[in-house]
Amino acid sequence: MIVRGDSDRRWRRIFLILGIVVAAYALLAPLTSLDAAQSAGVPLLADRLWFRIATFIAMFVVMATAWNIIGGITGYAAFGNVAFFGIGAYTTGMLIAKARWPFLVALPVAPIIATAFATLIGLPLLRLRGHYFAVASLGVGVAVGELVQNVEYHGQPIFGGASGLFLPIYSIDNRGLFFFYLMVLAAGISIAVTWWVLRSRFGYGLIAIRENEEAAAVLGVNTTAYKVAAFALAAALTGMAGGIFSQWNVFINQDNAFPIEYNVQMILMALLGGTGTVFGPAAGAVLLQLLIQFLGGSLPISADIPFVSDAARPIVAQVILGVLLVVVVIFVPRGVIDFFGGRTRLSLAYLRRSLRETSL
Amino acid sequence: MADFVQLVILGLLAGGVYVAVGVGFGLVWGVLNIVNLAHGSLVIVGGYLTWQLFTTLHLDPFLTLPVDAVALFVFGYALQRGVINRIIRAPLLFTFLLTFGLNLIVVNMLLLIFGSDFRSVTPSYSGQGLELGSIVIPYVRLISLGVAIALSASLAFVLNRTRTGLAINAIAADRDAAQLVGIDLRHAYAVTYGLGAACAGVAGGLIAMIQAITPTAGEPYTLQAFVVVILGGLGRVSATVVGGLAFGLVEAFGQSIPGSGSVFANAIAFSLMVLVLVTRPQGLLGRLR
Repeated sequence: MIVRGDSDRRWRRIFLILGIVVAAYALLAPLTSLDAAQSAGVPLLADRLWFRIATFIAMFVVMATAWNIIGGITGYAAFGNVAFFGIGAYTTGMLIAKARWPFLVALPVAPIIATAFATLIGLPLLRLRGHYFAVASLGVGVAVGELVQNVEYHGQPIFGGASGLFLPIYSIDNRGLFFFYLMVLAAGISIAVTWWVLRSRFGYGLIAIRENEEAAAVLGVNTTAYKVAAFALAAALTGMAGGIFSQWNVFINQDNAFPIEYNVQMILMALLGGTGTVFGPAAGAVLLQLLIQFLGGSLPISADIPFVSDAARPIVAQVILGVLLVVVVIFVPRGVIDFFGGRTRLSLAYLRRSLRETSL
Repeated sequence: MADFVQLVILGLLAGGVYVAVGVGFGLVWGVLNIVNLAHGSLVIVGGYLTWQLFTTLHLDPFLTLPVDAVALFVFGYALQRGVINRIIRAPLLFTFLLTFGLNLIVVNMLLLIFGSDFRSVTPSYSGQGLELGSIVIPYVRLISLGVAIALSASLAFVLNRTRTGLAINAIAADRDAAQLVGIDLRHAYAVTYGLGAACAGVAGGLIAMIQAITPTAGEPYTLQAFVVVILGGLGRVSATVVGGLAFGLVEAFGQSIPGSGSVFANAIAFSLMVLVLVTRPQGLLGRLR
C-alpha cells in the first residue's frame, strides 16, 4: 500500500469536518422547533417527519453499535439481537400500560430484563460456534416474538396478543424533541461503551476470543464469562433502545417490536461502517437508514425509479437492498470506513483484491 | 390408540416435506460449509414453477417435479458459479449475509412477478385419501412422502456411486487435497449447490400441493431445514431423512397439545434444536468429527 501522507491527511480532515458539521446540524436543528426560537423568527429546520426519521436513525445507531460488541469485537455472529429490542420494548411497555409506572422509572428496567435474558440464553447458546450460534440466535429472535404474541393466561393474552399493546401518550412539551435527544443520548452511551470496551482489559479479552478462542482460553481469558458479558452488554444497549421506542411509538406489537429484518439491517450497518471500530457502526447506521428511508419514499427528497409504479416501490426497494447486501459482502468486506481512515483508497485494484482474497 | 396412530401417521407424512427441504440444505451446508438462507426462496421458486405449469399447461403436479429440479439445478449452478463462489474463503458471517441478500432478491422478484396472493395447486385427487378404518391418509401427502424418500435415495446414489458424487465427497473431506488431485473446485462447488437447489425445487413442488403458497412462504422452511439437519446430524443423507421424519413427528405431537395450536411451531422447533445442540451436538445419527 502506498502511503500518501499529505493528501490522505487532507481527506481525513475533510471527512472529519464533514462529520462534525452533519452531527452539529442533527443535534442543533431540533432546537429551531422550540417556541422561543419560532417566536424569534428562526426558520424551522426540523418538522415532525424530520424528528421521526432522525429518531429512527439514532435508534439504529444504538442497535448497530450494540451488535458490534458481540458480532464485531467478539466475533460471534448474533442474528437474533432483535429479541433484546423487543424484550426492552415490551418490558417498558408492560410496566407503563399495565402497572402504570412513570416512563422514566420504567425505562431503566428494560436493559435490566434484556441483560438477564441474554445471560440466561447466552450460557447455553454461546457454547455453540459458527453457524450453530448464528442460527440458534436467529431462532431465539423468532421464538421470543412468537411467545410474546401468543402466551395466554386464563384465555387472556398476557402481552396484548395479536392486537398489540397501547401505551398512554407521554405528556411533555416538545415530545418529538424529547425523544430525539433521549435516543441520541442512548446512541452516545452505546458509542462511549464501545470506546471503553476497546480500551479495557475486557475488550482485549474479547478480541482475543475473536482471533482464536482456544489461545485466549490458554492465556487465561475466562472465555465463557467474557462472551456472556459481551452478549449481555449488547442486549442491555439494544433493550434500552427498545424501551425508548415503546414509549415514543406509543403502540407496540410483534411486527414493530420483533422485526426480523432489523437483525440483518444492524449487521449490514456495522459491516458497511466497519466492524470492530468505535464509530463505524454508527456511520453505517446513518448511511443505510437514510438509504432505506429514501428507497421507501419517506424522505422529503425522493427520486422516481424508472419503470416502477408507486405500489411496487417498496418491493423494488427491498430488491435494491438485497443487491446492495450482495455487493457490499463481495466487494467491500472490510466496510467503507476503510476508505475514510486513510488506510486504503477506493480503486479497481482494491475491489479486485477483495475478490481475490475470498473467492475460490 | 387410534388417535395415537393417526398422529404418528400424520407426523411421518408431514415429515416427508421436511425431508425434501432438508436434504438439499444439508448437502450445501455439509459440503460447502454454507448455511444457505436462500434455501427457502429456492423452495418457493419450485412451488411457483409447479403452479405455473399446472395452471397454464394443466400438467399433473407430480409430473412437473423433474422440470422444477432441472430448472433449479441450472439456476443454482449459475448462482454458485457467478456469485457465491466469490466469497467462499470469507468469514462465515459473509456467507450468511450474502445468502440472506439473495433471499431478499428472489423473494421480492417473486412478489413483483406473482404478487402476494395465495396460490394453490389442486389436482382432481387432492381431496381424496386412503381410508384405513377410522384413519384417512391423503393421497397427495402419501405420494409426497414417497417422492421425498425417492429424492433422498437418488441423492445418496449420486453422492456415493458416481464420479461427481465422489468429487463432492472429496471436497467435503478436504478442499485443498481435493484440488491437488485434480478436481475442478469451481465446477464441483457449483454442481453441489445446483443439486441442493434441485432438491429445494422438488420440495417446493410438493409444498405447492400441500399448502397455498406466497412468495414469503419459504422463509419458515429455511429455519425448519436447519433444525431438521441438526436433528439428524450433518453429513449424511440418511441422517437428514431420519431428522425430517422425527421433526414431523415432534411437530404433530406438539400441535396436538391442547391450547398450543400451531402458533408455537417455531418456538417448539427451536427449543428442540437448542436442546439437541446442547445435549447431542452431533445429531441423532451423526458421528463426532
